[in-house]
Amino acid sequence: MKNNFEAANPANQRHAGKKIGVFHIINGLFFLVFCFLILLPLWKVLVDSFDLTTGYGMKLFPEKFGIAGYTSVFTNKSLYIPLINSVITTVSGTMIGLLLSTLGAYVLIQEDMPGRNMLAFVLLFTMIFNGGMIPTYIVLRKLGLTNTLWSVILLPAINVYNLVLMRNFFEGIPKSLFESATLDGCTPMQTFIRIVLPLSKAALASIGLLFAVAYWNDYTNYKLYITKETLYNFQMKLRSIMMGSDLPQANNGAVENTVQNAAVIVAIIPFMILYPILQRYFVTGINMGAVKE
Amino acid sequence: MENTSAPKIEIRKKPLKTRILKYKWFYLMFVPVLAFVIVFYYTPMVGIRYAFTSYKLIRDPVFVGLKNFQRLFALPNFWTAFYNTLKLSIGKLLLNTGIAVILSLLLHEMASLKAKKLAQTIVYLPHFLSWVVAASVFQMLLSPTTTGLLNQLLLKLGIINKAIYFLGSSESWTSSYFVINVWKDTGWGTVIFMAALSAIDPGIYEAASIDGAGRWKKMRYITLPALSATILTVLILNLAKVMNLFESAFVLQNDAVMDKAQVLQTYIYYQTFNSGGIPDYGYTTAVGLFKSIVGMVLVLICNYASKKVRGRGIV
Repeated sequence: MKNNFEAANPANQRHAGKKIGVFHIINGLFFLVFCFLILLPLWKVLVDSFDLTTGYGMKLFPEKFGIAGYTSVFTNKSLYIPLINSVITTVSGTMIGLLLSTLGAYVLIQEDMPGRNMLAFVLLFTMIFNGGMIPTYIVLRKLGLTNTLWSVILLPAINVYNLVLMRNFFEGIPKSLFESATLDGCTPMQTFIRIVLPLSKAALASIGLLFAVAYWNDYTNYKLYITKETLYNFQMKLRSIMMGSDLPQANNGAVENTVQNAAVIVAIIPFMILYPILQRYFVTGINMGAVKE
Repeated sequence: MENTSAPKIEIRKKPLKTRILKYKWFYLMFVPVLAFVIVFYYTPMVGIRYAFTSYKLIRDPVFVGLKNFQRLFALPNFWTAFYNTLKLSIGKLLLNTGIAVILSLLLHEMASLKAKKLAQTIVYLPHFLSWVVAASVFQMLLSPTTTGLLNQLLLKLGIINKAIYFLGSSESWTSSYFVINVWKDTGWGTVIFMAALSAIDPGIYEAASIDGAGRWKKMRYITLPALSATILTVLILNLAKVMNLFESAFVLQNDAVMDKAQVLQTYIYYQTFNSGGIPDYGYTTAVGLFKSIVGMVLVLICNYASKKVRGRGIV
């Protein structure tokens, strides 16, 4: 969405005919340095995860290359369950999150529906005021959800911000499509499944990604509601590895630091591979919120 | 809020009952959404009444009136946490927004579209990493031991003669926190400004060029004013979230820096789940209530400011 927009906008094309001056060179160099500084910390982690020496200090390439850090991580069975938990909660949470967001958004665009404004207010009020950390904890505890994966799946699934983004997108669908579907005898549910959802693939992708990233990165909810170690996700596990309390046995000449670095890389690598492909969907998502401006 | 201020031109062709019946399936579709909101947001709000009790889970809550608040306001720890919350949240908001604006202006001026796209891809990246990962990365990078890149570099260059414990000493923790926040979120902050910049009519720039305006003048008199509404929107929207600061401070703090790193949410967490004794849920609910009320007042002020500045409320 943004890409098309940019290409079509002459503001960006005006660069094309311009000659490149000193300013552009300095500007380019600035971004070279800036991007280098952004990537440096991650590059350093990657390098150190392959380095089997102990004091890496200033090196930007591994001195003694080896994959022992990774074999230590992957041969450690206590990391399998957290990875599986991360996948389970991310997949199921994203599905439920998308279901609630699309249903809610679809209802909120029904302009003539009696009580629509009140329902919208009930949702939006939660963005302004909430019960707070402890009352929420007590409710989940009384419902028997603490120390089950349900707490970390269900609680983040209702996200009013994402629901509003979805509503903004749905508002762009021409009303005439709904009317003709109704005339053709579609029930509201059929219109939803056959018209609204197929037309909203871009929105589903970008809001789905927002949910997936939030679930994959979730740490706070686990910290609050989960004490059983068998229910930890990978972020929780990574945290305890970094705090030194739960270091996987270093083997084959890997030192403690190498293993920690390897664990960080394992935590981010799925995302790093997908990121260049998915990046435009994230930008679409945030711009959907700006559509209403 | 919903657009209630718009003139209501309701043509009630049919009675309310018929219209409700017409939408019966929609009400049914809203039930799951409503159920989630009620269970996870509105039921906890009922639990706010614990703020006026002493509640130790094993026993039923005992009404104590305003005692929790008296205890709270008398504690220096609480005021430190309150001050830190405001300092860290507002500090990072201003810092991130300011740098994001400058970055967007420079990105916008980039000569090559390809280089611009690449730069955007790279600066957005850290936003999508978890705070646990960010904390892990910087814990190693800023470490005072031989594995810490920054300390080794500064030592070698002779800028310092003793390794600095960036995240482990009160003097440097706050600045380290801000730097890590800039690394993580400033790039992503440019997205909204880039969208605003690409909406500026290029004809205005051309006209200015013909009138003899240089790059600096164009930036000063065209680009920045065009961005000002967006900058205000971003500041207002984020000011509303100031009190919720938790995860970023939580994963970067340690015992040595609590005087600088303790915020209200982490204070509540430690008092409840890590206090050593039997936690008083009533007391920590009271802290949370105070936090929520300050947060709500901020939202209402922002909403008012938002209406003044851009003619409509926050949401």
